[in-house]
Amino acid sequence: MSHDSGLTRRRFVVTAATALGPALAPRKAPAATRPIELVHWSWLSASDGEIWRQMIENFNAANKSKGIQIKLELVPADQYETKVLAAAATGRAPDFGWGTAGLGARLAKDGVTVPLDDLAKQGALDFADFTDTSLQAARYPRYGNKLHLIPMDLMSLQPEVNLDHVKEAGLDASKPPEDETTLLEWARAMTKQRDGKVVRSGIMMTGAGLQPTVTWGIVAEQLGFRRASDDLKTAAVNPEAGKKAMQWVLDLFDKHKVSSREVTDRYKAFGTGDGSIFWTGPWTLNGYVTQGLNFATILFPRIGAKRLTYFEMGGLELYVQREKGRYEASLEAVKWLSDNSFLWTTRGRGASPRKSILARPDYKTAGHPWKVRGAFIEGLSFATIGEIPVTAAREFTIYAGGNFLAKTLETVWTGQKPIDTAMQQIQERWQKNLDEG
Amino acid sequence: MTRAGGGRRRRIDWSGYAFVGFFTVPFCLFTILPVLFGGYVGFTEWGILGTPKWVGLANFREAFRDEWVGRAFLNVLLYGLCIVPGVGLLGLVFALFVNQGWPLSALARTCFFAPTVVSAPVIGLVWVWMLDTQFGIVNQSLAMLGIGPVPWLTSTRWSLVGVSLASIWWDLGLPFVLFLAALQEVPGVLYEAAAVDGANRAQQFRFVTLPHLRPTVSLVVTLQVIATMRIFSQVYVMTNGGPAGSSSSVIHYIYTTAIVRQLLGYASAVSILLFGAILLVTLVQRLLIRERGTWLGRAA
Repeated sequence: MSHDSGLTRRRFVVTAATALGPALAPRKAPAATRPIELVHWSWLSASDGEIWRQMIENFNAANKSKGIQIKLELVPADQYETKVLAAAATGRAPDFGWGTAGLGARLAKDGVTVPLDDLAKQGALDFADFTDTSLQAARYPRYGNKLHLIPMDLMSLQPEVNLDHVKEAGLDASKPPEDETTLLEWARAMTKQRDGKVVRSGIMMTGAGLQPTVTWGIVAEQLGFRRASDDLKTAAVNPEAGKKAMQWVLDLFDKHKVSSREVTDRYKAFGTGDGSIFWTGPWTLNGYVTQGLNFATILFPRIGAKRLTYFEMGGLELYVQREKGRYEASLEAVKWLSDNSFLWTTRGRGASPRKSILARPDYKTAGHPWKVRGAFIEGLSFATIGEIPVTAAREFTIYAGGNFLAKTLETVWTGQKPIDTAMQQIQERWQKNLDEG
Repeated sequence: MTRAGGGRRRRIDWSGYAFVGFFTVPFCLFTILPVLFGGYVGFTEWGILGTPKWVGLANFREAFRDEWVGRAFLNVLLYGLCIVPGVGLLGLVFALFVNQGWPLSALARTCFFAPTVVSAPVIGLVWVWMLDTQFGIVNQSLAMLGIGPVPWLTSTRWSLVGVSLASIWWDLGLPFVLFLAALQEVPGVLYEAAAVDGANRAQQFRFVTLPHLRPTVSLVVTLQVIATMRIFSQVYVMTNGGPAGSSSSVIHYIYTTAIVRQLLGYASAVSILLFGAILLVTLVQRLLIRERGTWLGRAA
């Protein structure tokens, strides 16, 4: 999508963003008048949302005397970016909000998210305490390579296993599946069928939407497929591996018969015992632990040549403001939230990007039990399937249920299109996306 | 709004404009202008920031090539074939039932109208539970009749039917009330005359009731067709258009294109196509039902 330069709204956004560095580098902008209420947008609506709300409440309680408060506003995830863009276009963007590393290239390119390298130093944010991986994931090499996100958590997708089902099937919970063969053995042992139909999925899947898409994405990368080359110039590298992965997902339903297409809500279904192995993220932990589900989390098995899984990094991004003094207050808030993210990364979501938090002796014992959250943290070592950091990142993401990828794959899952046709369409569309920048 | 004054210059009475302005100004600002702007955006490429870039008919050409647009329009047609007759017939049956004035008819009237006042997302969420393949009450009930589980929302074959069921239940209230009001307007003497002439109940309904309901039928069908062409909330909440676009609608496609993908120009072009389709269908309907009354076998 192209935009003319020299246009009123865009001029405002770009000018404000580019002026930010020089304007703030030599001398600090005057601080906004206190008391100040920062507007914070979030799309966290899973069980992690409760913990995040608690974080904000903790901040407000701790900073009341300093005259800085955060007003949390929930925005639906699928509308989030559009609303931020619209708000920025009118000069009324929220002060800061939740972002996912790699998905905000458009916001960075258009100057809606503020580059944070210089600002964060002024705000005394200690970059040395952040892991290199997290800081690297928060940048967009194609668009200036500046830091556009303060990392808050690192997440990997790992299988949660219902331990009641494991016991019932006579499996040894201490020896979880490590590869494709054992994974399918476990899945078969825990699957329940009635009249030839799967009524309890050994591997939790849905007939459409996100779950088969992300499964395909992980398996495809394990088999050697790449959505984009490292230089971001070639799309769908090794398409044959992508096709094999499509067949692998189809086989779960039709050949191995360990998954049902008829699950409507995967989260609910796993919680009610209608699925045995469910690969998902740490945002589910709080909900399942609270409801008393007997489960453990294991590492994603190796299905292809290399063990890999999906990686997601959540963080806070600052949006362009008319009143520059607000950045200081926003950074103060973000710093506090980052410094005090122990709760967030032990109960809310995945691993901490802060070395000091990871090094705390109670990091493994605090929060939810290690048997349910440990794999999410230990599995980060092979969680390398992140986002493609281009403006059309949302078309590439495997963690989606309604983007072009998911919709095209759905035609395969439902038998409407042959695998070859779907792969060709994906390749063409992605190549066009990469070519457009 | 002028006043002639015995050879003097005509004077404009601004108070009239002021009264009209209370409606006209907001209407122009919040309806006419956005519609015109939307029409303009349909010929541009625009992603919220910056100024729309003129691309002529490119968006329309793309829309005609886009398989998902075609599928969405086809789905809307299928929704229409499910929902419009469903709502019309059930609304009429319920109205006839309540019109009998049997005991508890007031309660029945409330029950039949109640779903209309519930918001669409709530309806959607309730029906997602009811239509769940494994533990939904609908499939549990069917199981008692020996019918196997139907994947109402998870298969390409049934998802559209599942959403239609919820829509019929939700949309029933207004047609029901309209039919009830129309039934109560039919003069009782006509039934008496028909009875004297030897007409049975079915003939009375065919030759007395139905002709009197013709304007209401026309209204209900027109309103329902338009409502169905704009179907969104139920789709969004119940299936999000899936699986594989089998339950998507044009508005749902416009929503995902504009709000999720931020292709506002393309979404506007599809909106213009939808507007054209609604206009065409409405005109055809008027021609068939209101002007000629063809399907009722009557000349106007």
